[in-house]
Amino acid sequence: MKSKILLALLATATLAAGAHAQVKVEDAIKWRQSAYATMGWSMGRIKANVDGTYNKDEVVKAANVIQAIANSGMGALYVPGSDKGKGWAETRVKPELFTDGPKVGKIAGDFNQAANELAKVAATGDAAAVKTAFGKLGGTCKACHDDYRKDNK
Amino acid sequence: MNSKKIRVWDLPTRLFHWLLALAVIGLVATGKIGGNLIDWHGRIGLLVVGLVVFRLVWGLVGSTYARFATFFPTPGRIVSYLRGEWRGIGHNPLGALSVFALLGVLTVQLLTGLIANDDIAFVGPLYDLVGRDLSNLATGWHKLSVNVLIALVVLHLAAIMFYAHVKKDNLVKPMVRGWKDVPAGEPARGGGLPAVIFALLIALAAVFLASGAWLPEPPPPPAAVETPSW
Ligand code: HEC
Ligand code: HEM
Repeated sequence: MKSKILLALLATATLAAGAHAQVKVEDAIKWRQSAYATMGWSMGRIKANVDGTYNKDEVVKAANVIQAIANSGMGALYVPGSDKGKGWAETRVKPELFTDGPKVGKIAGDFNQAANELAKVAATGDAAAVKTAFGKLGGTCKACHDDYRKDNK
Repeated sequence: MNSKKIRVWDLPTRLFHWLLALAVIGLVATGKIGGNLIDWHGRIGLLVVGLVVFRLVWGLVGSTYARFATFFPTPGRIVSYLRGEWRGIGHNPLGALSVFALLGVLTVQLLTGLIANDDIAFVGPLYDLVGRDLSNLATGWHKLSVNVLIALVVLHLAAIMFYAHVKKDNLVKPMVRGWKDVPAGEPARGGGLPAVIFALLIALAAVFLASGAWLPEPPPPPAAVETPSW
């Protein structure tokens, strides 16, 4: 009997420790909002170069940022319970993102691929190819926003 | 049956109509697809600002049947139409409701679009006037109200089919050729060259305003300001 209680206590303690190591909902929302906002910065930067005078270094820097974020495993920031709550602002994620499994996976995969492709062509400095890859990448951002992000009302 | 050919839709009204139809198809397509096409969305959107403003002015200075006063759907006119007593030419009172509804929703679409953002790499040309929160709000409305617009277009097309097949009244041909066979009625008058120029000038002014070209230069681009080199 005593050992059982001890075991239960131990189990709770381990669980609690585990939960502690896990990302808090508020932080998860903050981090993902920050990551997306950083990508927004980088997209704007690339666009300015594609539309105006092209600076290869600028574009490489920005494309690398997006690539790094895309490959960072952002899924980890969609912890259970983070379908609601406040990070820097009220989260705009739709609950479907947590339940649509394969469909979200496909969209996220397309996004990763497009981000890798953009970083690759950015390194070549070919402005026309960058423009195409940039447009494709923008399409994958939109695909996810269309389905999994709420509009402001 | 005696009928005569009269001029119903003047050339500017017809050009407006078909350009608008093409442009709206282009806007819905480029809006939904996104990517680099969002730049074209912005350009076509500005064209539509010009078209809609032109039509609004044309509704005051255009030829007879293009004038809002001619077809304004007053309750009296609607009732008489529903009783089958309306004998006019041009937009009947229900059609007129559809015209005003379409122009109204288009206006909402334009005003919200001009300050919208896609959170990716595009902002409407008047975005700087309003700030992020209002822009996000407008973007939400833009995406909602386009559904109303699409519904109205579907209704518009359905009504045209209904008139063609059930009432045996082809509404498309007059909108292409300008004239129509009618039992009786006066041809459209007015809307001459000065009126066209007047309406075009106001439309151009509206496009200029909408394009944001008059806004103060945004803060100098990053390259021109001193920022740390890391
Ligand atoms: C897998 C889905 C997905 C992809 C891909 C995606 N986003 Fe998002 N984005 C979201 C979600 C969900 C939110 C809302 C996050 C929240 O509020 O919790 C968001 C929010 C944002 C925001 C607002 C951030 C803030 O300040 O709160 C920006 C900007 C943004 N995304 C830009 C981008 C860009 C640029 C890309 C492509 C390079 C992109 N997103 C790709 C799902 C996605
Ligand atoms: C009558 C005119 C217009 C129509 C019919 C129209 C239609 C559309 C449609 C169908 C979408 C896609 C919505 C969705 O994804 O569900 C869209 C998005 C958008 N439109 Fe328009 N639009 C019009 C005018 C404009 C104008 C003038 C601008 C600005 C110059 C503009 C800026 C935008 C932006 C920024 C988006 C992207 C929103 C997003 O993806 O988050 N629109 N529009």
